[in-house]
Amino acid sequence: MSWAWFHKLGSTKWFFLWFKNWPLPLFLVGVLVFLMGIIWGLAFAPEDYQQGNSFRIIYIHVPAAILAQSCYLAMGIASFVFLVWRMKLSPIFISAVAPIGALMALIALITGSIWGKPTWGTWWVWDARLTSVLVLFLLYMGIIGLHNAFEDKRVADKAVSVLGLVGLVNLPIIKYSVEWWNTLHQGATFSLTKSPEMPMEMWLPLLIALLGLSCLLASLVLWRMQTTIMKREMKSNWLKQEVLKNGL
Amino acid sequence: MQSADFLTITDLWIERGERVLCKELSFSVQSGEVIRILGENGAGKSSLLKALLGTVLIDEGSILYLGEDITADRSNLHKDTLYIGHSVGLKKALTVRENLALYCPDVSIEGYQPILEELGLAPFLDMPVNKLSQGQARRTALSRLWLTQKSLWILDEPFSALDDQACLLLEKKIEQHSLAGGVVLLTTHIPLSSIQPRELEFAV
Amino acid sequence: MTYFSFFKSESLLLWRHKQDTLNALLFFVIVVTLFPLGIDATPDFLTVSAGGIIWCATSLAVLMSISRMYREDYEDGSLEQWLVSGLYLPFLILLKVTVQWLFMIAPLLLILPIVGGMLYLSEESFWVLVATLLLGSPSLFLIGSIGAALTVSLQQGAMLLMLLILPMYIPILIFATSAIKASEIGLPYLGSLAMLLAISLLSLVFAPFMAAASIKASVNE
Repeated sequence: MSWAWFHKLGSTKWFFLWFKNWPLPLFLVGVLVFLMGIIWGLAFAPEDYQQGNSFRIIYIHVPAAILAQSCYLAMGIASFVFLVWRMKLSPIFISAVAPIGALMALIALITGSIWGKPTWGTWWVWDARLTSVLVLFLLYMGIIGLHNAFEDKRVADKAVSVLGLVGLVNLPIIKYSVEWWNTLHQGATFSLTKSPEMPMEMWLPLLIALLGLSCLLASLVLWRMQTTIMKREMKSNWLKQEVLKNGL
Repeated sequence: MQSADFLTITDLWIERGERVLCKELSFSVQSGEVIRILGENGAGKSSLLKALLGTVLIDEGSILYLGEDITADRSNLHKDTLYIGHSVGLKKALTVRENLALYCPDVSIEGYQPILEELGLAPFLDMPVNKLSQGQARRTALSRLWLTQKSLWILDEPFSALDDQACLLLEKKIEQHSLAGGVVLLTTHIPLSSIQPRELEFAV
Repeated sequence: MTYFSFFKSESLLLWRHKQDTLNALLFFVIVVTLFPLGIDATPDFLTVSAGGIIWCATSLAVLMSISRMYREDYEDGSLEQWLVSGLYLPFLILLKVTVQWLFMIAPLLLILPIVGGMLYLSEESFWVLVATLLLGSPSLFLIGSIGAALTVSLQQGAMLLMLLILPMYIPILIFATSAIKASEIGLPYLGSLAMLLAISLLSLVFAPFMAAASIKASVNE
């Protein structure tokens, strides 16, 4: 089996040229789909028979929480790839995705506590999922802090990858332990193994909002990665030629 | 068949941050050679030595040690290498004797009394390193050259902070080492009196 | 350098710097003292919270004391010597962590009866506390050593280290304190102890390699 594609994927030049024109369409599609999901969810989905209209915040809360975790997972895998194969693209991906993941965790925290006010009567409850999102947010901030602490970006890349990998191993343990410590919250909204308990009119817009937000984030990550690549490859000929020929 | 070079360096490419330290640097080292690396301050002489040792990453190129490619894994080279860098690795809270016991655990210090006398270390054996002068600390680190048996010596500015007598002693030891078939790679600013090393110009 | 001479000199160094260990222990005692003063000094509160208080204080004291465990080695060039010694770096790190662990945990266990008494811990729970410390503290040191290695080349690394490593301590803290709480109200606690052991074993396999990778990166700077 040929590994050429794998090494190609690691080449910043190949990546830059291949994905150059992706962010903008992806961004527009993401905004459109996300708005569609949100509007459907906020205006047209049926009311929850227990929580009334306040449940509608899940159309932001749940996608943000899911994406905060997925971003961390992706970051952890990228760390592993970097430590094992020294793929140059991995640290660029990590530094691009970390602030976005942190933002998602923050949004999940804020919307979660807004949701908590009518449901539990307080802004904050030490419930398992909110707590683990808080920890996730702190892990993100650690990665960002470590990345900024180093002058030499090559050392920063390596250090952040180590931390990302350690976090990847630790995250399920933290999640499990926090859940075991206290479960007050309702069960997971999405489950891959059993059919959703929400009626379809409720979860379909949620799914659409999730898809839209994913596209949106993917476009932002691509943009950030392209900026970093341009910064790092400032002196290389292929970039000069590309910019002179096709503009930005 | 011709026997392999002690070290063969091919197309070495080292970048540090934004700076390219060397491009396509190639040279080979035979047994018994003393090589002095020349270059301006900050040209990256120390980095080159560290790159050979593997503590500085190289971007491209390969290093052969006795014909075996060690670019990815230097552990075989390390087994036969003595490295003394800018910071010599002595533990400040330990005495000279304890430091030597850390780095040269197989030898008894008593057997090396004459050379420790000559290096002027004998009276300070039980003094913690942080009480020593800079020159004495460096001499303690350098005494490992007498106490261990390794073929490759990598010495980064070994003569700094040494007085004339110690410099002569060290030069003599380097000469002996090369006559016995050992290899020395060193950087230094002072002119050497007794040995004539092969010089390796190091500039981009 | 051999593994044995390395182990010997590391032990000797810690012995020469015994004041640091003493400071860490005093720090531990101070943090424990803050809880009754700051929250509630009645036995009702303290008996229930003793495990949590002691574990919080231990985590902080451990992290404080090992935050600079590679600092001197970085500054005096020892890290480079480890790398070129021909010895296996993850194993050297494991030896160093072991020495640190022994030097910290042995005196901690010695003063524990006094601290436990001050917090009105029952005898049954006291032994569970000792068990959680023995099973859980290795992972505190192992995970902490990764953080110490990551921040070794940074001037202001200590605060960052706290931010990086304390979240990773959460599971250890949860399982340890819930074991103590369970024993306090007569519930089974062996499951939590097993989890602590599992986390320690996992970090034993994993942490030395991660710390070695970080040290290599830091020396490279």
